[in-house]
Amino acid sequence: MIRWTGPLLVALALLGPQAISAQPPTVEGVAIDPDAELVVGLADDTTNMDPRIGMGSIRSNYIRQVFESLVDVDPQGRPVPGLALSWKPVNELTWEFALRRGVTFHDGEPFNADTVLFNLDRFFRRNLDKWGLKDVLAATSFEKTYPFVTRWEKVDDHTVRVHTSEPSPTLWDFIGREPIVPRAYTIKNGVDGLNEHPVGTGPWKMVEWKRKTSMVFERNDAYWGTKPLFHTMRFQTIPEGAARIAALRAGQVALIEGVPPFDAPALAQDGKLKVVSSPQKLSCRIYVNARPKDKYDSGGKDGLFADQRVRLALNLAVNKDAIVKKIFNGYALANASPVASVSYGYAAQEPYPYDPARARALLAEAGFRDTNPLTLQLLFPAKHYGQSFDEMTPAVAEMLKDVGVQVTIKPVDFATLLQTASKGTLPPNGGFAACRTGNNLDADDYLRDWASISLINWAPYPPELMALYTATRREVDPPKRLKLLADLQRQVRDWAPVVALYQEVKVYALSARVLRFTPLPELNMDFRGVAVKK
Amino acid sequence: MRAFLLRRALHAVFVLWGVVTAVFFLVRLTGDPTPFLVDQTATQQEIAEARHRLELDRPLHVQYLEFLRAVPRGDFGMSISEKRPAMGMVLEHLWPATIELAAAALVLSTVLAIPLGVASATHKNRAVDHASRLASLFLQSMPSFWLGLMLILLFAVELGGLLPAFGSGSVRHLILPAVTLAAAPLAQNVRLIRSGMLEVLQQDYVRTARAKGLAERFVIYRHALRNAAIPVITVTGLSLGFMLSGAVIIETVFSWPGMGRLIVQAVPGRDFPVIQAGVFVFALIFVGLNLIVDLLYTVVDPRVRLR
Repeated sequence: MIRWTGPLLVALALLGPQAISAQPPTVEGVAIDPDAELVVGLADDTTNMDPRIGMGSIRSNYIRQVFESLVDVDPQGRPVPGLALSWKPVNELTWEFALRRGVTFHDGEPFNADTVLFNLDRFFRRNLDKWGLKDVLAATSFEKTYPFVTRWEKVDDHTVRVHTSEPSPTLWDFIGREPIVPRAYTIKNGVDGLNEHPVGTGPWKMVEWKRKTSMVFERNDAYWGTKPLFHTMRFQTIPEGAARIAALRAGQVALIEGVPPFDAPALAQDGKLKVVSSPQKLSCRIYVNARPKDKYDSGGKDGLFADQRVRLALNLAVNKDAIVKKIFNGYALANASPVASVSYGYAAQEPYPYDPARARALLAEAGFRDTNPLTLQLLFPAKHYGQSFDEMTPAVAEMLKDVGVQVTIKPVDFATLLQTASKGTLPPNGGFAACRTGNNLDADDYLRDWASISLINWAPYPPELMALYTATRREVDPPKRLKLLADLQRQVRDWAPVVALYQEVKVYALSARVLRFTPLPELNMDFRGVAVKK
Repeated sequence: MRAFLLRRALHAVFVLWGVVTAVFFLVRLTGDPTPFLVDQTATQQEIAEARHRLELDRPLHVQYLEFLRAVPRGDFGMSISEKRPAMGMVLEHLWPATIELAAAALVLSTVLAIPLGVASATHKNRAVDHASRLASLFLQSMPSFWLGLMLILLFAVELGGLLPAFGSGSVRHLILPAVTLAAAPLAQNVRLIRSGMLEVLQQDYVRTARAKGLAERFVIYRHALRNAAIPVITVTGLSLGFMLSGAVIIETVFSWPGMGRLIVQAVPGRDFPVIQAGVFVFALIFVGLNLIVDLLYTVVDPRVRLR
């Protein structure tokens, strides 16, 4: 991932502070400060550090500095070896992970097969009594989501096998991307101890956590991989976007996230600053009610958007290029695939053209004319996804009105939206604007959205697509599976379960003193190999 | 006095019971926190299981009675988002951050208001009075988030980092948020002192004091100001309650780790225990401040008797 300027720097880093003081280390010919503190301005603090409690978009960034998973990710979003050197299916019902040797947790506890077995027990809530561990209310209940994982075993100190009752081509992903916690430390200190004083194998050790204020990390000098080239990192909570920018311009933080799209050009023109961006997995859509009447609290009516032509018409009515340019200043992607462009198995799809005339025609074919217009009650979670999203939703509503859809926007708080969606109380003509993201790499993370009824599934797969989806879940041969995934994405694009709006591009601004920071298409930032100019 | 205090203590218990009861039921009217705790692809069954594990599926009256039993122990349950005792979270944001900021803003808004208000009254319709009134008008009209950002841009960016843009822990960190928080109450106090002083300065006893040959400074600060201060005490008590119970916008702009932002963030996240603990502490603060204000009346004006 990181290319050094020369062997001298490697030698200096290995020799430690004495050597560094004798000959200042450099990156790309620039002298760097190995003792520097880097302050990063973030919109919010994490609520937990125990990854089992949950890994939302904010939490992930904190948790993954300290903890690592078996499968790591590169700046293009591709899976690369992490705590596992390799993973492979031994047969249709067994996966084998070969673990990295010589890795230790921050407290010196070795990482080995027993660690992985212990973590699998926690994922699937097994043997918690045996380990004396409190059960946490995990966001993802593995035993429910992946009931086909039957058992796991240690082959030797550095090899683990996981057995399933049916083929599971994505097991490397949903198990491999979960952060790994230490066994002995967690048993000794309990999950509360782990949560308050996390100990991982990652490049950073957490040394101080002031809730809602800041978290301080120190470089893990025993880290097995590419170390950060500065000593201390502070994640500083600065909730207000304008205050984050002011703090960056004042030089009091060196890097900020969540730069508003229209502030980015001005910051980029400042000679002391840089602006970088990366596509994210956050896909924003309008979910419309296409559920059959027995799949929600319907009052005996099928969802009004069950007809594929209607959903396709809505997609053709939205001018996505205008949204990307006018609202996101180019910092967003129009993506017609149901899968994020940075996911493993993504296959680019033909964009939905902006074609209001065709949209009107499709609505008319489906029986919705001026005398009998289509209505849409659109729930809109204001002040949740940011200002651009809040500007976009009414704009999209106007575009839909232009093709004759009678749209009523109902702003709600996010909790109300979640509750409506989870209870299945959306009206037959209801829909909601929302974004979804994921901690996993594989396209399945998105394609499973329409497989079982959940709070974001308002258009369950018809039998033929369900059969194709099931085939992607059974095929373990990667080339064959990639072909199936591409085929499913094409068919889902045509079937149009949602109104695809945009995929997020995250914008960061940083001091020109920060070298080699590359944003990931993941929920977290990666500071391995990053340096601070002297 | 003892009877007064006893009666106020009983009133306080009743008020606090009313507040915690209202909050208990009101927050539950907003809905269910469980969907926040599960994955977006969670099924209804998984959500129901999560609700069961949080014991939110028990009858409401059972939850309420259990809650009432726990409140006298200061036990408001565990935060749903952070899985830590809710009251502990509230108290760690109350002290030192919220109290520090409120105390600094209180001192600024009263200590500066007295000379400014007095000068304005004693120089009525002259330049000092016009400047003071105009400044008060601006300070009261300016939205606090705008004032805060302007102060950050001026002192942290344009003046080369003279003061920090965010954070807490030192006097330098305290200055900008305290000034922003004090701005509106300061302006209000200046106007109140001015109008109170203008009224009092017309009274016979002030004329008598002057006729006795007392120094003007003594007349103003010893005789007049004391009588003009009662409305200021009332308003300051309420302002302090506002400052302590969460200057949310200021905490957000300056990344100040106070109690207000904690509670406001808990509301959309439906973190019932944190909301309940926070509102209980707010109520306690207001009840306590009202009592202190009532007691202060007797100190400032001996004619006031508490019964």
